[in-house]
Amino acid sequence: MAVETKERRTDIGPPHYEQFLPPVIKKNYGKWKYHEIVKPGVLLTVAESGDKLYSVRAATPRLMSIESIRLFADIADEFCGGFLRFTSRNNVEFLLTDESKIDPLIARLKKEGYPVGGMGPSITNIVHTQGWVHCHSAASDASGVVKALMDELFPHFEKMDLPGKLRIAFACCLNMCGAVHCSDIAILGVHTRLPVVSHAKLGSMCEIPTTVASCPTGAIRPATVDGKPSVEVIAEQCMFCSNCFTVCPAISLSDAEKDGCSIWVGGKVSNARQEPMFSKLAIPYLPNNPPRWPEVVAAVKNLVEVYAKHARKFERMGEWIGRVGWPKFFELTGIPFTKYHIDDFTHAGESFKRSAHLRQKKGE
Amino acid sequence: MADQKRETPRLDQLESGPWPSFVKELKKSRKNPMTEDLLGQLERSYEDKVVHWKHGGLVGVKGYGGGVIGRYSDVAAEFPKCAEFHTMRINQPAGWFYTSTVLRKICDIWEKHGSGITNMHGSTGDVILLGTTTPELEPTFQELTAAGFDLGGSGSAMRTPSCCCGMSRCEWALYDTMALTHDLTMTFQDEMHRPAFPYKFKIKCSGCPNDCVASIARADMSIIGTWRDDIRIDQDAVRAYVAAGTFDMSADVVDRCPTRCMHWDGKKLGIDDSNCVKCMHCINAMPKALRPGTDRGAVILIGSKAPIMGGALLSSVIVPFLKIETPYDDIKEVTQAIWDLWAEHGKNRERVGEFIQRIGLGSFLEQIGLEPCPEMVMQPRTNPYIFYEDESENAEG
Amino acid sequence: MSDQVTVDEVADAMFELVSECYGKKNLKPMDVTKAMIQKFGEDKCSKQLCKEAIRKLMDSGRTIYSYVGGSYMTLPPPAAK
Ligand code: SF4
Ligand code: SF4
Repeated sequence: MAVETKERRTDIGPPHYEQFLPPVIKKNYGKWKYHEIVKPGVLLTVAESGDKLYSVRAATPRLMSIESIRLFADIADEFCGGFLRFTSRNNVEFLLTDESKIDPLIARLKKEGYPVGGMGPSITNIVHTQGWVHCHSAASDASGVVKALMDELFPHFEKMDLPGKLRIAFACCLNMCGAVHCSDIAILGVHTRLPVVSHAKLGSMCEIPTTVASCPTGAIRPATVDGKPSVEVIAEQCMFCSNCFTVCPAISLSDAEKDGCSIWVGGKVSNARQEPMFSKLAIPYLPNNPPRWPEVVAAVKNLVEVYAKHARKFERMGEWIGRVGWPKFFELTGIPFTKYHIDDFTHAGESFKRSAHLRQKKGE
Repeated sequence: MADQKRETPRLDQLESGPWPSFVKELKKSRKNPMTEDLLGQLERSYEDKVVHWKHGGLVGVKGYGGGVIGRYSDVAAEFPKCAEFHTMRINQPAGWFYTSTVLRKICDIWEKHGSGITNMHGSTGDVILLGTTTPELEPTFQELTAAGFDLGGSGSAMRTPSCCCGMSRCEWALYDTMALTHDLTMTFQDEMHRPAFPYKFKIKCSGCPNDCVASIARADMSIIGTWRDDIRIDQDAVRAYVAAGTFDMSADVVDRCPTRCMHWDGKKLGIDDSNCVKCMHCINAMPKALRPGTDRGAVILIGSKAPIMGGALLSSVIVPFLKIETPYDDIKEVTQAIWDLWAEHGKNRERVGEFIQRIGLGSFLEQIGLEPCPEMVMQPRTNPYIFYEDESENAEG
Repeated sequence: MSDQVTVDEVADAMFELVSECYGKKNLKPMDVTKAMIQKFGEDKCSKQLCKEAIRKLMDSGRTIYSYVGGSYMTLPPPAAK
């Protein structure tokens, strides 16, 4: 039964954040002096006034039942006056002023299955997309790969034992709702089978000129199939970007055996030290192997370990690779270098090596 | 209950392990038949290794062109309860702060009208309510607005702006990110709810160059805090860091400064601030000893995006420094000028970054009324094919 | 400015255009706006006026937004009329 008594309200925007801030934040807003990580997952922020705020960060799977959100609400009531926030990487943070409550809170969160950590030189939550749970163009699941990965990488979430921050992102197709293109390690769902056109449906479901125009490489051209107007795909020109599918539901790229994941490394968004950079291709394709994607997990684990062993303090993945060079990266990780690693789209030439600056290996 | 309980042997394997399990979350809400069938359908995807959702459709709340993403199952005969499983995007409070009371309110509404499944939060920043049917959309919307919430953006519109926690908790926030985000969101409600652009437009506000909301990679307009005067140094605190020995001052800090503008003689840290590019590295390394200056503002950059369609882009500088002060007229004017130009001349599905690449940054700047300056490029052009204009013709104008 | 067309006139003309193109061509709000300014002339019809007309059409449910890779203006599905 709809509530029709009141007038329909629109364009009210989000509630003002101020009403959700704990008193210590309201009082010291914009007047913080410094912060430090007192232990994994616990951030202390000290104000000019001397006031202290403790943020306790716990992992969430991003996909949350309202039952768990209610549980967080109860925990926040019990430990910190009901004040909490979420982070840009899908963690939850409880905002405390009473230092004595930190350990009991951590214990409680752990007991409920939401471990504390993910600060400083560690691996924090993997930002990810909807995957098979809720997306129509997913080439892989997101939540499942992330769960399998984080189970394996978990020690790096709880400890701060890496040279620098290591940010991992997952997107289930090239649309990249999770904009993974600037992450230390990015896992990207890919289609590798040519688009299949359902000619019977295309005429009624899609606009032909829009579909043709959607392809960045001009791989789609109008065609008449069985007397009906439709389109065809020029195989050699297709780079599996899925643009055509996005505008035309009668085209499909999904394939049980040929969909999978690619792995990218060395991107970052922070300006610290070197400028922000894109992630670059490390592994062009790994199969989808649910429920635990062992190939993907092993590949990412290897990357993390090689980085942890060789990078210097503060160095991000991309900075480390920049210092030692890509040939060394492929050597140390044992990843084969293939023709797929060489860019062939717009601005491809910019990634070719155009000098004799090479770290030559001494002859055997 | 007549509803059958779905077998999920594959998903069940994702319940174990130390990391929080999304499968456990789904099961916590399985008393809702929609979620029970979602579990069934997801198990089917794990078996078939393909997705079982179809393209969206014409769903939404009256008058809005966004905020709802239509979703239909392609195996609806088997999983009828999740045949329709639409998403509602709810504009989050800036900085993602909540009280237990307000979270419970959202939960109650979603228990009544939807699957009980959410994302906290989606990639753009909204609270995502995952899974409801077409008839439930309008009643959910009305209850949400009664509780003080509104829908976020989707489609070819301004998307829900988001920001880092800024001044609420970070001493590095060089402008009030939450205040600006809230203000821009309120000012541009129409642009968010009634898509009128060639494609999506995202705004993200980061308080400092560490860019905790990834604005430089994920926003069409990236507003990144910075400062112009000197880094404030507490020499005693610097020496304390060195004494503590957690890092090597020369190798890990001084030598890692991108412009090599720092020097350390074993007792005193010096910075040539005129060459500092405000990268934050030294400040990150010694938060108790170094602090950004006090003459603060932001850099405005434009055009980042994921690969679709013409390749991924990072945002690039269009305003090297701007004071960020209420009522934020300068930012709003620049934004409006960009939208006017791009809405009129952008091609369908062309993000503003791609639009700039097509028409040229020089021409773009001219048309939105900004002066070119060397801060906007890595270097001047190397290619001699220049589109010279006949200055004499314009001279009188 | 006294000879400006009214919001209702623009809305009706927009509705006509969207109906004509229904099932044939996807129209973005900006396409419709440009068509109206061309039809009525720049002196009589402005972007702002078009914006109001679109809002009127959408609020009344005569037209709705659709989304196929981009946002378009279209008619509500027959069942919903
Ligand atoms: S997948 Fe991309 S490249 Fe291939 S036909 Fe479709 S639009 Fe063109
Ligand atoms: S902020 Fe960066 S550029 Fe400036 S002095 Fe520190 S390390 Fe050098």
